Amino acid sequence: MASSEAPFQLKDLLTPATIRLHVAASDPGQVIREAGQLLLASGAIEERYIEAMQQALQTYGPYMVIVPGVALLHARPGDGVKRPCMSLLTLEPPVRFGNEDNDPVSIAIAFGAVDRQKHLQALTMLTRLLADEQALAAIRASTSAEEVMHTIAASPSTQ
Amino acid sequence: MKILAVCGMGFGSSLVLRMTIEDVLKAAGLKAQVVVSDIGTARSEQADIIVTSAEFARLLADRGLPIVVIKNYVDRKEMKEKLLPLLKGS
Repeated sequence: MASSEAPFQLKDLLTPATIRLHVAASDPGQVIREAGQLLLASGAIEERYIEAMQQALQTYGPYMVIVPGVALLHARPGDGVKRPCMSLLTLEPPVRFGNEDNDPVSIAIAFGAVDRQKHLQALTMLTRLLADEQALAAIRASTSAEEVMHTIAASPSTQ
Repeated sequence: MKILAVCGMGFGSSLVLRMTIEDVLKAAGLKAQVVVSDIGTARSEQADIIVTSAEFARLLADRGLPIVVIKNYVDRKEMKEKLLPLLKGS
């Protein structure tokens, strides 16, 4: 069953400890460092995963800005992921990644996967959340991590 | 009918794409196999239609398959307008 293969809900991976608001970053590299530090501090990744995310952005380009204003940053399971994890930054001012359709980025989400299954439920909920423009506006305007958690919990997209 | 959702590594964006594709297919009452792939595997993986971003579409153009280029990976309206016309009559 999917429940045993993908046991993590969005709220299991995204917690107040892995959310930082109104981060001032000068470029995509700094965004990755800040988002990666939250994962590192939570003990879910090895430090080399942050460098792997930088490398992925260099290699594959700014397609990672998959929704207007939102970047989804990650590398591969083998790059030092200990357990499924996710962090979220709101960026102020927004940062240009070089994606002509979806720049600038005001919400950056970094995650670590251990395979294609265990983070899938959380990623499904995140997909629905990213399609909820009211929820995204509320997250951008949030002044505390708890407020972000509340928005996620209250969004019809994550029910 | 096999639809290939392609991103750089096959662990993030392509899974998001697959969800959006499956939502649109379900709403339209259509059935298709939707498979995720990283850009390397996508060069040789058998498929009928590829769905990806503009950057990867350029790298896959020489496969001669129909490619749906998506800007917003979670926008069901964009997916519906671009993907469904390719499925008609198949």
